[in-house]
Parts: sequence; structure tokens; C-alpha cells
Amino acid sequence: MEPQTKRWKGSACDADSWVAFPVLSDQQSQDVELVEAFAAPIVDKKETSRLLRELNAVRPLNGLQHVKRVRAVRGSGGPHPLEVLVCLVSDAPDLKVVSIDDLLPPDGVQRDGLGEPFVVKVPARPPLTRPQFELASKHWPTSFHEDKQVTVALRGELFGPLRKARMSAYMAAALTAAETGAALGMEAVGAVAVDPASERIVAVGHDCSGDRPLHHAVMVCIDLVAQSQGGGCYSFDRYPACRFTPQTSGTFGGTEASSQPYICTGYDLYVTREPCVMCAMALVHSRIGRVFYGTSSADGAMGTKYKIHSKKDLNHHFEVYKGVLGKQCEELGGLGRPRQKTRAH
Amino acid sequence: MGTEEGRKADSEESFYPSEKDIEKWMSCAFDMAKDALQNGEVPVGCLMVYADEVVGKGRNEVNETKNATRHAEMVALDQLLDWCRRGNLEVSGVCQQTALYVTVEPCVMCAAALRLLHIPVVAYGCRNERFGGCGSVLDVSSAHLPETGTAFKCVPGHRAEEAVEMLKSFYKQENPNGDQNSSLL
Ligand SMILES: [Zn+2]
Ligand SMILES: [Zn+2]
Repeated sequence: MEPQTKRWKGSACDADSWVAFPVLSDQQSQDVELVEAFAAPIVDKKETSRLLRELNAVRPLNGLQHVKRVRAVRGSGGPHPLEVLVCLVSDAPDLKVVSIDDLLPPDGVQRDGLGEPFVVKVPARPPLTRPQFELASKHWPTSFHEDKQVTVALRGELFGPLRKARMSAYMAAALTAAETGAALGMEAVGAVAVDPASERIVAVGHDCSGDRPLHHAVMVCIDLVAQSQGGGCYSFDRYPACRFTPQTSGTFGGTEASSQPYICTGYDLYVTREPCVMCAMALVHSRIGRVFYGTSSADGAMGTKYKIHSKKDLNHHFEVYKGVLGKQCEELGGLGRPRQKTRAH
Repeated sequence: MGTEEGRKADSEESFYPSEKDIEKWMSCAFDMAKDALQNGEVPVGCLMVYADEVVGKGRNEVNETKNATRHAEMVALDQLLDWCRRGNLEVSGVCQQTALYVTVEPCVMCAAALRLLHIPVVAYGCRNERFGGCGSVLDVSSAHLPETGTAFKCVPGHRAEEAVEMLKSFYKQENPNGDQNSSLL
């Protein structure tokens, strides 16, 4: 089955018109959380390694392994080029004015190398992304184990021009299905399941909720994928735009595939609108490979209200990207059955 | 719109099964679950009851359909929709007076489906620690999701230990190594 692009062909759908950004977990996208700590100037630079050794022994910075203990004071022109973290404020005795003697036990650290302490803010958690790293480093030097793919994805550069052309074609097929559904009085939402290994469209579905309230485009698509593997439980014969490519026995995973209900393993799903909670969790149950959506939705569960794809407690996690043909997907909003708050959609 | 929602809230307020109803229908749900366990199936019993009549009765159909969304609740909801169609009844009117009785807390997906159909009350047995949508993993049942139907009331904990025991023995026979990674709930 070839992607139908007749309506969406041409410059409007070209791969330069959109950028897909990753929908990262809360941990990856949240602001940098800071904790207060006492720092002190190192008066005599030659004492640095001794001070570090002694401080690490009596005041270890538990849970802050990502924070560097010493920082160089850049271009301050001041008398002390280095500063060292003494301890967390929360570990210090509750005193208004502290001196270095208040912060350290009587023995264990020779004080003569240290100046008077002052309060600084350091990042409470290791940075997970480059933006978090850059923010964290403004407060105090921090180490960072970079996930290069996340960095490139956040710049919107993960997918090259050829890949993007492919992705445009898949989303265009979802847009065409959405339009067809809308013309039948359904909500204008379309979804396409793709086997990225063979670049083949496995199933195309559109919203059928005007007929069956739970038949959102994603749910339709999941059942069509099941049908492509000899399963499924609905007939979508009345909706010619809802269709699947039958698997020939040799092409699909062979041994394990037949006994596993996790039919979407390794597949990509393209859907014009961010899935709702039901559809997002259905994709978790189906073990989808990746999800690409065009535009956000008000109760969306892949970025807007929840991030079900990165929810720690769940047993399957996957990457989600949004913005594929974003403008065209957004324009679909005006088509089809209007959303009704008090009725199932 | 405000008045419409207000009226809706009233009708939900007015529908709530009695203790006796819950006792009776949960007992049916447990019988279903036991039956399923004896036949080597996922031991979840699930009933949709409208006007003292069972209008949907589901068992897990994930394996035979290869569709991982065919949880007992989804099957029961489909039967409810078919029942409405046969009787030429308006779906939303029926759903707003229908209770779900199920031996295990509905998962996140099923909880959202119940919201989308405006089911007002769900009585369940044990918690669903891995997928539960009524508080265990997410609280879809009460969350502020104005585009996702209406929130529903939960009546949890009915014969919870018994429901857990059935699940445990099912997973033991399903996979003696104790791998509980399947999503059948
Ligand atoms: Zn949905
Ligand atoms: Zn479920």
C-alpha cells in the first residue's frame, strides 16, 4: 500500500516546513532544582588537594556526585582563584552567622587554607539534557554525561532530509485518512502504523467515534494492525480509508510473533493529533516502538496532561516526537465533527 | 453549556448503587473470575449493570484477537454499546445510569474509556499495581480532564485479598518463573 498523498502533496507538505521535537520525560524537561551549600575561598592554592581529601572525608556531599567540589573564580581579579564546597546548608548547624569553625568538626580538616564561608546554590540533581547542563553550570560547575541523541533531537536535527521526506509521506497518509473520516462525519483524526524496518505502511485508520464512541483513530489503527496479523475484532469494511496490509507469513518476526499479543512491537505510529489517555495507554499495552504526532491536544497524554510514554511505573517506554507536518495537522482541527464536551468523542 | 453540565452532574448524583447491589453484582463478578481461572484464563470478572440488568459481561480477549486493548472492561463496554443499539437507546443516557463491577482496578486505558462513555460508578476488588488508572499508577478516574468525558466514583476494596490471590495463582501457572511482564489487565 502506497501512502496516499494526493491531497497533501506539494510544497505544503515538504519536509522543510516542519521540525519534530522530542517529548521528553518530566525529569529531562524540568527546571534545574537547586540546593544551598556553603562554599569558602581557598586561601592558599597549594593546600587544595589536602583540603579536598579532608573535606571529602568529614563532609562528603552525598547524592551530589555530579557537583564538582572546587571551582575556579573566573576573572574575578580577587585574591583567591579557587573556591571549595564545605557542606550543604541543610547539614550545617542552624546558626545565623557561620564561621568555618561552625561548619567543620574540631578535627579532620586543617582550617588554615580556608577563608570565611558564604552561601551558594548548586544543582540538586545531575543534568540529563544539554539545556539543563547549561543552566546548572551557571550556578556551580557540574559534570554531565551527555546523551548525544537527545541533544541532537532537542535541536530538531535528529532526522535528516531523506528521513523527513519519508515521515512527511506517512503523516500525509494519516492526514488523508483524517479528511476522509471527517467527510463521513467523524472527528478529523488519522493514524498510520509503519514498520520502519521495511518502510512499509502496515495499517491506516481514521476516527470512527461517530459510529462507536471508543473508536478513536489510534484504537482503529491498533485493531487493523492485529488484523494484518490474523487477529483483530472489528470490521471496518464500511470505511474504505481504514485498511491494512496483510502480513505474508515470512515477513513478520516468524517464531515469537504468532504467540505474542504485543503486535506493535518495533512499529512507528504517525497520528495527526496527540493521543488521549485511552489511546496512549493502548499504545503502551501494544508495545509500540515510537510515536510521531502532528499537534498537541487539550487532554493529550503524550506531553500535555501526562507523559505516559515515559511514566516510570509502567513496563514499556518509548520515544515520542511532535510537530510532524504540524501546521497541516493543526488545520485539520476545523474539519469534521466538532468536539462535544458532554458526549464521548 | 454551564446548565447542561449542571444537569449532568445532577443525574450522576442521583445514580448510585446500594450496598446490597454492590454485594450482589460483585459476587457475580467474582464467580466469573473464578470460572476464568479454572479455565486457564485471566481471572478478571467484569459486569456492566443498567437498571438491574447485566448489559455487558467481559473477559480478557487479548490473546485470541492479538489486540492488546481487548481487556475485559473494553469487551464489556462493547457489549453495552451493542445492547443500546439493539434496543435503540441513546448511549449516553444508558451509560450515565450504568455501574461497572470488576474484580481488579481498571487500567489507565480502561479508566479513560469509562470516562469517555460517562460511566459514573466503578466498584472493584483489588488494586492493579502495575497499570491501575484509579489511583495506583495514575488517577484517571478523578483527574481534571475536561475533554475526556466525566470523572467517576470508585468503590474499591471489595474482597480484595481474594482477587489478588486469583491473580497470583494465574501468573504462577502462566509463567512459573514469576515474570509478570504481560499487560493483560
Ligand atoms: Zn483517543
Ligand atoms: Zn484495562
